[in-house]
Amino acid sequence: MQTWDQRQPIYQQLADLLAAQLLDGDPPEGEAMPSVRALAGRFLLNPLTVNRALQALGDEGLLENRRGLGLFVVPGAREKLKATERERFLHDEWPRLRDRLRRLDIGADQLTWEGQQ
Amino acid sequence: MNAAMTGQNLVEARNLSVSYGAKRAVDDVSFTIPKGRVVGLLGHNGAGKTTLMKAMVGLAAADGELVMLGLNPVRQRTELLEQACYIPDVAVLPRWARVDELITLMSGLHPRFSADRARQLLRRTSVGLRDKVKTLSKGMLAQAHLALIAAIDAKLMILDEPTLGLDVLSRKAFYEMLIDEWCDGERSVLISTHQVEEIESLLSDVLMLNEGKLVLSISLEDMDRRFVAFSHDTAVAEQMAAAHPLLRYRTGPGPSGNAAIFDGEPPPQVQALGQRMRPSLVDLFVALTRKPELDRTHF
Repeated sequence: MQTWDQRQPIYQQLADLLAAQLLDGDPPEGEAMPSVRALAGRFLLNPLTVNRALQALGDEGLLENRRGLGLFVVPGAREKLKATERERFLHDEWPRLRDRLRRLDIGADQLTWEGQQ
Repeated sequence: MNAAMTGQNLVEARNLSVSYGAKRAVDDVSFTIPKGRVVGLLGHNGAGKTTLMKAMVGLAAADGELVMLGLNPVRQRTELLEQACYIPDVAVLPRWARVDELITLMSGLHPRFSADRARQLLRRTSVGLRDKVKTLSKGMLAQAHLALIAAIDAKLMILDEPTLGLDVLSRKAFYEMLIDEWCDGERSVLISTHQVEEIESLLSDVLMLNEGKLVLSISLEDMDRRFVAFSHDTAVAEQMAAAHPLLRYRTGPGPSGNAAIFDGEPPPQVQALGQRMRPSLVDLFVALTRKPELDRTHF
């Protein structure tokens, strides 16, 4: 079963998880999101929690409500998400990673871009 | 009283008690269940969960006020059972019957049962219509039972320990069907269990019973607001304890694996000692239902 940690509210964790899937193109831009009930069933969550997560993604401009049809992935959502993630990496993750590399005396020339994608 | 008078609430209980001789199995509980909710009835063995559920379907005589779907569960039991379905913890399906025979039986017994809907629900499962009940595994049996009950066009489903003894995949399949096929924002379901971790994320509300008394009746959303947990280091354990948390417990090994739950926000200087966490239902359950004599041995 899906496990949820205690650091954040569950709806936020679901929103993050769905955002990560959107970044991978699931579902693709312009396509419909799965229904609240389908998501609730898949992740074994209360539908109210799913609603809150979808609401959060809507507030970030990633999903749009098409009257009578449900929620759709906004065209350009992946680019938007990528920009947010890039910002987060450069702002939060990179400084920590850089400090760690320095502590370990790892230089740029020792880092390889080869390997599995 | 009729349904219109009770407004949006499917269940209204006020000062409800159920006694077996001198023992009060359910002791002066008051709560409501509105439409479209998934309510967990939590309690240790013997806390009164089954007794309360029996009273709700007119199988146990209760003192106080209990209005189910606008009806009196004892005097109007037949009408109530048209709109409320119940799987008791001791539920059994006849071993000799085939699944399609059970559908025929239900069609004859229950005016709001839909055979088409039952067959549609069973297609989700690995249970075949020609299967004999005695050949089904425990997990398949629970799913078949749920499919038969969910095919009743009712407003409230009451499930007493529905997943007891099922393996993890069967429990997942059971809850998946329940969420997917039953919860439509109008109907409600009351589920009793002591496997608290597993159903926390499914619930919209929780009723917590301890020795017959209702120690908590709250929506999960309000629970997140009212109770706060802090993880903290062993070094500040005494300061945390001095702020009177509901419960202190270990979250993992090492000096950082401590946590404390508070009812309401503790003072800022106490909050500064730890890292805020979402209090889990199981921790709250332990905090509110532990027996006093365990207090001294807990830490």
